[in-house]
Amino acid sequence: MFFHDLKYMLISGFRVKSFLFWLMLFPILLGTLFKVAFGNVYENDVLFRSIPTAVVETTSDPVFHQVIDSIEESDEPLLDVEYTDEENAMKLLKEGKVSGIIYVGDKLSLSVTEQKMDQVILKTFVEQYGVNEKIIKETAEKDPSKIQSVVDKLSEDVSACRDIPVTHGDPDIYVQYFYNLIAMVAMYGSVTGLHITVQNQANLSALGARKNCSPTPKSVSMLADLTGSFIMQSACMILCVTFTHFVLKIDFGDRLLLVYAAAILGGILGVSFGFFFGAVNRFSLEAKIGIVMAVSMFSCFLSGLMMGQMKGIIAEHIPWLNKINPATVVADSMFSLNMYSDYSRFISRIITMLVITVVCTAAGIIITRRKKYANL
Amino acid sequence: MANSVVKINNLVKRYGELIALDHFSLDIKEGEVFGLLGPNGSGKTTTINCLLSLLAFDKGDIEVFGKEMSPTAYDIKKEIGVIMQNVAVYEELTVSENIDYFCGLYITDKEERRKCVEDAIKFVGLEDFRKFYPKKLSGGLLRRLNIACGIAHKPKLIILDEPTVAVDPQSRNNILEGIQKLNKQGATIIYTSHYMEEVEQICTRIAIMDKGRKIAEGTKDELKRMIRNTETVNIEILDVSENIIKEISALPHVYDTAYDGEKLTVYCSGGKHNLIRILDVLQKHDMAFGRVYSELPTLNDVFLEITGKALRDKED
Repeated sequence: MFFHDLKYMLISGFRVKSFLFWLMLFPILLGTLFKVAFGNVYENDVLFRSIPTAVVETTSDPVFHQVIDSIEESDEPLLDVEYTDEENAMKLLKEGKVSGIIYVGDKLSLSVTEQKMDQVILKTFVEQYGVNEKIIKETAEKDPSKIQSVVDKLSEDVSACRDIPVTHGDPDIYVQYFYNLIAMVAMYGSVTGLHITVQNQANLSALGARKNCSPTPKSVSMLADLTGSFIMQSACMILCVTFTHFVLKIDFGDRLLLVYAAAILGGILGVSFGFFFGAVNRFSLEAKIGIVMAVSMFSCFLSGLMMGQMKGIIAEHIPWLNKINPATVVADSMFSLNMYSDYSRFISRIITMLVITVVCTAAGIIITRRKKYANL
Repeated sequence: MANSVVKINNLVKRYGELIALDHFSLDIKEGEVFGLLGPNGSGKTTTINCLLSLLAFDKGDIEVFGKEMSPTAYDIKKEIGVIMQNVAVYEELTVSENIDYFCGLYITDKEERRKCVEDAIKFVGLEDFRKFYPKKLSGGLLRRLNIACGIAHKPKLIILDEPTVAVDPQSRNNILEGIQKLNKQGATIIYTSHYMEEVEQICTRIAIMDKGRKIAEGTKDELKRMIRNTETVNIEILDVSENIIKEISALPHVYDTAYDGEKLTVYCSGGKHNLIRILDVLQKHDMAFGRVYSELPTLNDVFLEITGKALRDKED
């Protein structure tokens, strides 16, 4: 009976057009929209890339050469340097092929035509080089083997003005939108969960009444429907993460499997939340869907789906809310994988999700376990 | 004597101050088509819901197949088929998938189920609509699907709660014929309706309900014998004088008359040749008349006489 119920739960579930739209197509459309809307900003201003720089040497400076060589040898070189003469350098600058020209003379000087992030970094680099020139030169003369660590420190200081992640992915607000998008899909699972109670309660639907008249125990039917909903929701979460990461090329860091795990657990949380909400009141199905969608969207709003700074605002004024708001918890679990090298925050969020899931499922089962109804 | 399939004893169901079932009792025998007849709100559906253990009740006992009915009486539930008033099918499953799904809640063996589904499809005449989704079916076909989902597992007791509401006459006849066929195949039927014609047509025994009480029970002939009216004569006639009406009222077996300016209605109790005697009076006074027809008493007359009100509203 369980597998029979589960089979038809999946068949009917995947044929629900609203399910296919809101949980599969809509996130893809919204994700694509995010990518189109914010993608250029991200790639231009956020994504790390080496800054094309022309270097014009008026006097030879072997230490500067040594520093530049060290910078270019790193995995993510700060500068992409081209040594050239002044005339060619000016041409490259006018054509936009380089972001600035560094003149190497008695002192370093910089020539730029714009004031964007690249130019700010070049300016910081030149200033930092000037401040640390003495140390660099002394190190080069006394102990050349330590020059790399000095260069690393210089690069780090320069990079700091750009909020380069020190962990695995991009903690930028742009990526946060995609975490929130995944959390939104998870919360949409509440509608699927809601249908489980409606379709199994004799006092909520004709289908529920018919199923309650059958010799299949309600517990079996509910368990099959819950399992089916978890499977369906997990499929949606996997699709959403896969599309976001592999098609939209959003960098979720190198712990992708854990991102999938967090997303799937988030989806299960969403289903459980809807299951509980469906059981706890006797509103009409339409009213239930309306309320559960509104609650889900409000939860997503608080997590920053519509306004990136919202999570920060909540953290400042009602910090405990961020720890229990389902959408925030789901988004934060994935965010923490990127933001922190250790797993403590991730584990904390996963535990919160598990607790909400267990509480909602248990409460839903307790409420719906009733065998007879006072009213139909 | 046939065995009792359903035995309801002194059932009381209250909704706050409202008494929905007031010491209601029934004894339905094997092989019967038992009709529960009553106006909307009389307690028919409440009785069915209590019988199916969907609804908690305040007092009384319910036995089905000689055993106490309860929500976990799965062995009893296995033998019951239910067709509710509201269509209960999955919109996203086709006709055959819907029947297979609900049949699967009763029968686990796939091969047996496949045969049952096929039989049910043929029984309700949905052979050409197997792959159709419910929303593509007309109201009548949808009702047939609803019935197929309830009877596919070949239950011994079939409960139909107003299955013909909002159904076209053709589908209604199809459904009623189907119920009689199921009965002939051995199933005991409980049929609730506020359409007295349907109940008269198919039920072997009838209980009439009003305000949660059983006000009469018996075969349709037994019920009709309970009331004074045996024949109602209607005559389309203009300008009938008071004297003529008085003369007709004085005829033997006539116990009441009514005249609305166009139609004279004469109520008779017992006796034969009532119509001839009435027409004789009119001819004696040289009265021209139009259409003349005689009506035998209906269950509505039974209900009217017992409760003082019509069984169903005019819009029904």
